[in-house]
Amino acid sequence: MTWNVAKKAIDYILSHENSFPEKSVIWDFIGGEPLLEVDLIDKICDYIKMSMYELNHHWFDSYRFSISTNGINYCEEKVQNFIKKNLSHLSLGITIDGTEKKHDINRIYKGSGKGSYADVVRNIPLWLKQFPNESTKVTISSEDLPYIEESVIHLFSLGIHEVNMNCVYENVWKEGDDIILETQMLKLADSIIDNNYYKDFACSLFSEQIGGPLLDNQNWCGAGKMLAIDAAGNFYPCTRFAKYSLREKNELVIGNIKEGINKNKLRPFLCLDSRTQSSYECIKCEVAQGCGWCQGENYDTAETNTIYQRSTAICKMHKARVRANNYYWNKLYRKLELEGEREEFEKNKREVKLEIC
Amino acid sequence: MLQYLIILLDKESVSFCGLTPSPSPKGERSCLIPLDTLKQGIRFGMIENLMIQYVYPDYELPAEYSKVIESIDHSKIKPMKDGADVWVTGSIKDIKADVSVVWRTDKQSLFNSEADIISALENVPRLNVVLTDVETFTDEDFENYRSLLNAFAEHIEKLYLEGISSQLNLLTDRMMFSKINNCGAGDTTITLAPNGKFYVCPAFYYEDETDSIGDLEHGLDIKNKQLYKLDYAPICRHCDAWQCKRCIWLNRKTTLEVNTPSHEQCVLAHLERNASRELLNNIRKHGTFLPEQEEIKEIDYLDPFDKRNTWL
Amino acid sequence: MTKKLVGNVTPEERDEIQMLFERRNGLYELAKILTADNAELYEKLVKDMGETGTKFQNWWDRMAEKYQWESVNGGSWEIIFETGEIMLVEP
Repeated sequence: MTWNVAKKAIDYILSHENSFPEKSVIWDFIGGEPLLEVDLIDKICDYIKMSMYELNHHWFDSYRFSISTNGINYCEEKVQNFIKKNLSHLSLGITIDGTEKKHDINRIYKGSGKGSYADVVRNIPLWLKQFPNESTKVTISSEDLPYIEESVIHLFSLGIHEVNMNCVYENVWKEGDDIILETQMLKLADSIIDNNYYKDFACSLFSEQIGGPLLDNQNWCGAGKMLAIDAAGNFYPCTRFAKYSLREKNELVIGNIKEGINKNKLRPFLCLDSRTQSSYECIKCEVAQGCGWCQGENYDTAETNTIYQRSTAICKMHKARVRANNYYWNKLYRKLELEGEREEFEKNKREVKLEIC
Repeated sequence: MLQYLIILLDKESVSFCGLTPSPSPKGERSCLIPLDTLKQGIRFGMIENLMIQYVYPDYELPAEYSKVIESIDHSKIKPMKDGADVWVTGSIKDIKADVSVVWRTDKQSLFNSEADIISALENVPRLNVVLTDVETFTDEDFENYRSLLNAFAEHIEKLYLEGISSQLNLLTDRMMFSKINNCGAGDTTITLAPNGKFYVCPAFYYEDETDSIGDLEHGLDIKNKQLYKLDYAPICRHCDAWQCKRCIWLNRKTTLEVNTPSHEQCVLAHLERNASRELLNNIRKHGTFLPEQEEIKEIDYLDPFDKRNTWL
Repeated sequence: MTKKLVGNVTPEERDEIQMLFERRNGLYELAKILTADNAELYEKLVKDMGETGTKFQNWWDRMAEKYQWESVNGGSWEIIFETGEIMLVEP
């Protein structure tokens, strides 16, 4: 993205305060690897701060900058300068997938093919010192399944207290993957409970909010409630609708920095509910609660050009997750009751994000 | 459930909805539906128990078509008055007919034709005004539209007091309906084109011939067919502007989804709804009128999308 | 250093101090990039920092008066924004 495009995008957003009435805003920078462009990000953040203040914009009193990084250049001077300059408004997550073996399956240097684990893990202590409450997010694909238990425990051992993890929504799952997920999660449940990790650590694979029939009719995904801007200045309801994120369908653009947002194209996103896009089988599913979807993936796999047809590739993985959750919560609460610690646990337990993109 | 089959007798059949088809390239002949395709279409309609509506081009069909056309109960939509059940016209001036009339118009012509429309209301049993540029309406246009509807309502009330029951789709339909009554494209109605393929509605055919939903040889194949039903339209299923055409083609054009209308469509429909409410209330001041119909409630919005938090 | 729960404030009171806290942080970070070259904005910032700091302190004074929280020499109070709980931090 050029500075000119970034500036025009900020000018558009901040000059249309009525179109963005939300109390707070998160300015989120995603790549590629965003910290490769830390100079540009720094300039953008300065401009945002100055503009919000000059315009007396209500977001000046409630904003955050958010960055998800692979963590490789975290300790570089200019990155550190940026962090220190914006620390009280910055949320910065480093993506580390787990053990070296697991991490280096997917995260390798272009050219050499060498894994990046060693270069990331050495930056974790400084990161946790600067952002002690930060979590890491891990997405699971088919080949990652055998490493779930050891990876989560490894991340806990690095001092990361919250590990957000979920299965990808794409149809990558092979026969028997649900059994591997369940086995790994049962093993993880035993490790967390037997070693008392549950007191200070949390992994989002385990949540009391999953399983059971649908309780509400809310849409799962936040597409349309955010605005994504690409390097050319096009607007999307989420980056998942940009061309580079789609396999089958054309990009779904809802405006640009010159013409603004086409509100008619945004309407379908803001009217999405659970039942209108779900099959009868999903609506009636006895363990539907917590079974999620990605609107972009739904769009990409739908039989027509619609966001109103839900992809169900994750079905068997969700059901495996529900079974493992049943085991986890039954085992944990029995232990807590026997030890007289249930009340204390319920009072202090960490809330985890149910799902991450 | 499917109830209607629209058969376009020619590629140049008259448009009776919001889409204005691009004119054929110069020198290209019109494309009449092959007689055999027409017969197969009629057979399909009979088997599926569908009511057939023929849409005519502006020329006389060859003699051999007449017998085939008459082989099933049907209605005729024509660009000429003679023999039509519904006459589609491009001009409202000095109009006189004893059949329903469809007048396709853009907003500017509509705003300039108040007197002609008022005159037409006395000379046709039913006038359907079809706007061809709904998506271009601005706030100023909405105000003009509101004023125009009020002027028509005043006149219709006067005609009613004179004992003349005049119908204007924009105003009188809502008073008569007890539930939504729209074109039903893809749900209750499908279209057969001269190429032997089925389409959601004529506009889908005129816009892109490859956008079909099956053909006579293999039958219907409507993907995501539930999305054409009211239950799967998140805004419309909560709406009581029952006269709204809920044009599926315009929905897709403006919002990219067949089940979601544009802001402009919703506001126009609600201006009509509210004007109908006023008209109904005013007529009832003179005596009993449509006693079986419930009162149209007063509402504080023009676009139900703005009230989505009450139903999401 | 120990922390002890000594009271609560109402959600409205919590929102008020949270907004002032956010604004104070925003002004502080803005001050790092704003120079006196931009005289008009610089003046506005300096004035704003003073006013916000005063409002911030006034809030604590008002609440301490209203709720009479426990205190110790050399200690301080903290608020947990999620719950509106007031903690006494003892050295």
